[in-house]
Amino acid sequence: MRTIFKYAFTYWIPMIIALFLMIVELVVELVQPVIMSKIIDEGIIAEDMTTIYIYGGWLLFITLIAFTAGISSSFFASHVSQGVGYDMRKDMFTKIQMLSPMKMEKFQTSSLLTRMTNDVTQIQGLLFGLMRIMLRAPLFIIFGIVMSFTINVPLATILLITLPILFGIMFFLMIRGMRLFQSVQEKIDHVNQIIRENLLAMKLVKAFHRLTFENKRFQKVNNRLKDQNKKALWVMEIVMPIVMLIMNMAMIALLWFGSIQLEMDNAQAGEVVAVINYATKMLASFGVFSFLLMNVTRGKASAVRINEVLEENTDDEVKRMEHRNKIKGAVKFENVSFRYPGLEHDVLHEINLSVKQGEKIGILGETGSGKTTLLHLIPFLYPATSGIVYIDDIKMEDWGNRVRHDITLVPQEGFLFSGSIKENIAWGNEHLTDNEIEKVAKEAQLDDFIQTLPNKYETRIGQRGVNLSGGQKQRLSIARALADNPSILLLDDSTSALDATTENKVLDAIRKRKCTTFIVSQKISSVVDADQILVLEKGMIKGAGTHKELLQSLSLYQEMWQSQQKDGVLIDE
Amino acid sequence: MNVQKDQPRSPHLPVKRPEIKNVKETVLRIWSYMATDRWLFWLVILFVIISSALSLLGPYFIGTAVDVMTGSISSYGFGQILLILAAVFILQSVALALQNYWMIDIAQHTVYLMRKELFAHVLKLPVLFFQRSKSGDLMSRLTNDIENVSRTLNTAVIQLTTSVLTLAGTLIVMFWLSPLLTWMTLTIVPIMFFGMKWITNRTGKYFKKQQSELGEMNGFLEETLSGHTMVKLFHQEHRVIDQYQKHNEQLREVGYWAQVYSGFIPKLMNSLNNFSFAIIVGIGGWIALSTNAATISIGVIVTFTVYARQFTRPLNDLANQFNTILSAVAGAERVFTILDEKEEEMHDRKKRLEKIDGDVVFKQVSFAYNEEETVLDQISFHAKPGQTIALVGPTGAGKTTVISLLTRFYVEQSGSIYLDGTDMKQISNESLRDHLGIVLQDAYLFDTTIRENIRYGKLDASDDEVENAAKMANAHSFIEQLPAKYDTLLEGNGHGISQGQRQLISIARAMLRNPSILILDEATSSIDTITELKITDALNRLMDGKTSFIIAHRLNTIEEADLILVLKEGQIIERGTHHSLLQQKGFYANLVETQTVKEA
Repeated sequence: MRTIFKYAFTYWIPMIIALFLMIVELVVELVQPVIMSKIIDEGIIAEDMTTIYIYGGWLLFITLIAFTAGISSSFFASHVSQGVGYDMRKDMFTKIQMLSPMKMEKFQTSSLLTRMTNDVTQIQGLLFGLMRIMLRAPLFIIFGIVMSFTINVPLATILLITLPILFGIMFFLMIRGMRLFQSVQEKIDHVNQIIRENLLAMKLVKAFHRLTFENKRFQKVNNRLKDQNKKALWVMEIVMPIVMLIMNMAMIALLWFGSIQLEMDNAQAGEVVAVINYATKMLASFGVFSFLLMNVTRGKASAVRINEVLEENTDDEVKRMEHRNKIKGAVKFENVSFRYPGLEHDVLHEINLSVKQGEKIGILGETGSGKTTLLHLIPFLYPATSGIVYIDDIKMEDWGNRVRHDITLVPQEGFLFSGSIKENIAWGNEHLTDNEIEKVAKEAQLDDFIQTLPNKYETRIGQRGVNLSGGQKQRLSIARALADNPSILLLDDSTSALDATTENKVLDAIRKRKCTTFIVSQKISSVVDADQILVLEKGMIKGAGTHKELLQSLSLYQEMWQSQQKDGVLIDE
Repeated sequence: MNVQKDQPRSPHLPVKRPEIKNVKETVLRIWSYMATDRWLFWLVILFVIISSALSLLGPYFIGTAVDVMTGSISSYGFGQILLILAAVFILQSVALALQNYWMIDIAQHTVYLMRKELFAHVLKLPVLFFQRSKSGDLMSRLTNDIENVSRTLNTAVIQLTTSVLTLAGTLIVMFWLSPLLTWMTLTIVPIMFFGMKWITNRTGKYFKKQQSELGEMNGFLEETLSGHTMVKLFHQEHRVIDQYQKHNEQLREVGYWAQVYSGFIPKLMNSLNNFSFAIIVGIGGWIALSTNAATISIGVIVTFTVYARQFTRPLNDLANQFNTILSAVAGAERVFTILDEKEEEMHDRKKRLEKIDGDVVFKQVSFAYNEEETVLDQISFHAKPGQTIALVGPTGAGKTTVISLLTRFYVEQSGSIYLDGTDMKQISNESLRDHLGIVLQDAYLFDTTIRENIRYGKLDASDDEVENAAKMANAHSFIEQLPAKYDTLLEGNGHGISQGQRQLISIARAMLRNPSILILDEATSSIDTITELKITDALNRLMDGKTSFIIAHRLNTIEEADLILVLKEGQIIERGTHHSLLQQKGFYANLVETQTVKEA
């Protein structure tokens, strides 16, 4: 909640104006019953027509004031809530851009997306509502009681006694109800999960003939959902009849005491009517409380989620610092280990490695052996947990993320942005000329394909454009990386979807660039000509050397080589 | 007196009126689910009428009480009036509570039945149906649409009926009390009507804009957030932030106006309430004084101020409640279209096979999705018990279709498939599938423990049997290394274990089933060589002694097959063993030649 206030506070002037306008409206509503009582007592009962005219005119006048205030408050309140939303989104986005990939993995894209959209909208709605409607109900009740006291003390006392009882009962029931609804949500999730599973695994369910089994499973959660839903709804729905009953009983008490007071000449009819009127309006504003409670609770949860992002340490701030000389491309690992924070096992364990400028390094190993992690350490996407990584004999810590200027990584599933092919290739380097773009596309063996497209390099891809195959995506990603003219190029299994011939052509083009190249692959054939091949197993280097050396020294490597010899993927497309 | 429920409308999207083809039919169909609860439903309606009537009586008697108090009426005793009032209020609350209670019961039971039937029905739909429909859309129908029906039935029905009744009732009583004052109160209706129209014209426009801005911002966010590493690698943080700010500013702009205009609505309603209050009190007072016949008493004025509130609110809510109900009906209609989908044909297929050897014959089998697209054309072959059949060919050649016919995911349009000499058309689905084991390319795992996932192959298997199957499938060793071993929970379709390990678990599942016929769709995605070896080894064990059909991608699997069927464009163009096909020097030989890895 503090976060919300902090943001809202920057807009304190419009906020105070909005609140002021809301109070103007409130005062009008509070004054109405008073004027009404005057009309009754000094007008109708006293049979004085001018009083009715005057007060009637006043009534219309203050109605007009309330209307103007209400309409104007909309502008100010909206300014505040939209401004807060804007600021929150801006800060969050900037923050996210300054987070390291490791932190990013912690948050997950989908969760960040909801935080930036739904959660912010939730808070906007809460602020807007608070300034205009929700705060009015409690204020009305407080001031209403105060006003009642100025009109008639004994009658007002009845209201004062009733209200705490009402609040107690209402909040007790509503909090219970909200807890129950949380568990209803869980049950809904269960139901949805079984549905989703059955849709996804539909063939499996059919092939194993598990209709009865799945139906039974579903019935169980369906039944639970029904029961829980009934319970929760019932608690929520009982609130209003109870509140009404108590308030209405108070109303009868008001009438009764009112008549007694009237007989004793302690009160006038108009006063009784006015207090009854306050009571009526208070009862009407009770409905807002369930709304208020729900919105505040949700808003609080949203604020917490937003805060989690905002308070995360920026561990990857981009420093706009002097560019050092271009990296040459030597890489050295000295006893480098890496583990994710909070985990017990090293993903990489005491890796030692020395790579000269322009060498080609192949990395092989099982899934989970640490290949990708090793690549991520080179452009400082992950920091080493212990040991030192050197680029051109300078420690990684000294480079910071500036090291990325000359190091590029191509992930396995080529990630593309929506836009034209040209924009995608020039994504990391906007100043690229058309000739240069075409040149890298040719190197990535993509030019032939692009020429077949109707709009050539201007063809849009992604959500609203052409769909590319896995291999085309990979080649486009490689072209983008080459466009950045890297000194060190990291390929994370990024030629896996290419056929052997195309793959060789791409790798040849890369070889000609004479940049230091790391290639992670499943296929030995992709790295057979490498200056060094590393075989990783469980985060450690099991063997290193050229193809020939490894064939002689490492039985695991021999085994892989033999099985792959006849294990070519036969048919694709 | 009624309490206003959910009074302040939050500045959210106005409910759009959805398109519905057949309202009446859909409503009747929902009605049919209430069969057992119908008398209860009528009881609810009765109670709604009662509580609405009582909500009119309350203010009336308060007014009367005021009149008795001021001495303008003396026909009732004051105590009498208060007793009547108390009775009215108690009855009103009781009626409200009961109608809610019963309605919740009816609604939840109805939705329960709908869910149950829908789920059972979906399970029986043919595979082709799922391929035709988008899974996201289907999911949303099965979850959101039903949830929507549930929510609406719970409250909207009662609310709408109450609104209509209160509106009509209030109007009648008001006219009865004082036609003149009623007409004066009604002057706010046209103001309200035009005011609302003016506002909603604007909110509609801006909400639409806001929605599309939000959509664009979402798209941008999704892309840059999932491409976060790319942004970092190419040092584009500041550019991305600048781009985002453009979206952000546009959203603030339209969001501002959308919220400003939508904020007018409650204020307009409130002001109209105040306005009618002023009219009633001012003009009421004037009438009370100027006509000596005392057509209007103070009590009437008090009653009117309450009625006026009760009257404007439903007027405002009606449109919304109506739209809510319509959107639920539209949701229900979408749900019913699924229920109207034809189930897999089950009749005529009653024959049960207790035990089969696994002799499979395809005799001139053809299949097409529609008239133009023939997928399989006159396929014939014979698989003897225990043989391994490899299906080879380019994507779209019809390999998956052959297998889908065998599992009866699809039904052949012409020709016949014979299982141990019996035409498959006569065998019941259940009996057929009892003898099948299947390992699909995308090894699906359920969100439960590894143990339960394997047990899915044979529900009554003991823990020992499960572990034995895992051992046979080479899955035991990696499972033992997991912290919770066999009780490890797999979440999100087996997240946390590798693709290859998922394959091993699904092999164990098929292993436990011990089928006579085995169907394999070999994984094409890259699995590391070591795991690959384990999988091959496990599969060999699994296929032992069973008739196996494999959609094969890897050469070593194919080499060992007893029969290779080379498919192209829905036809078998070559058949034979690896060696005989190589000698033919045809399509297959060419494939092997160009695709096999050569030493560099």
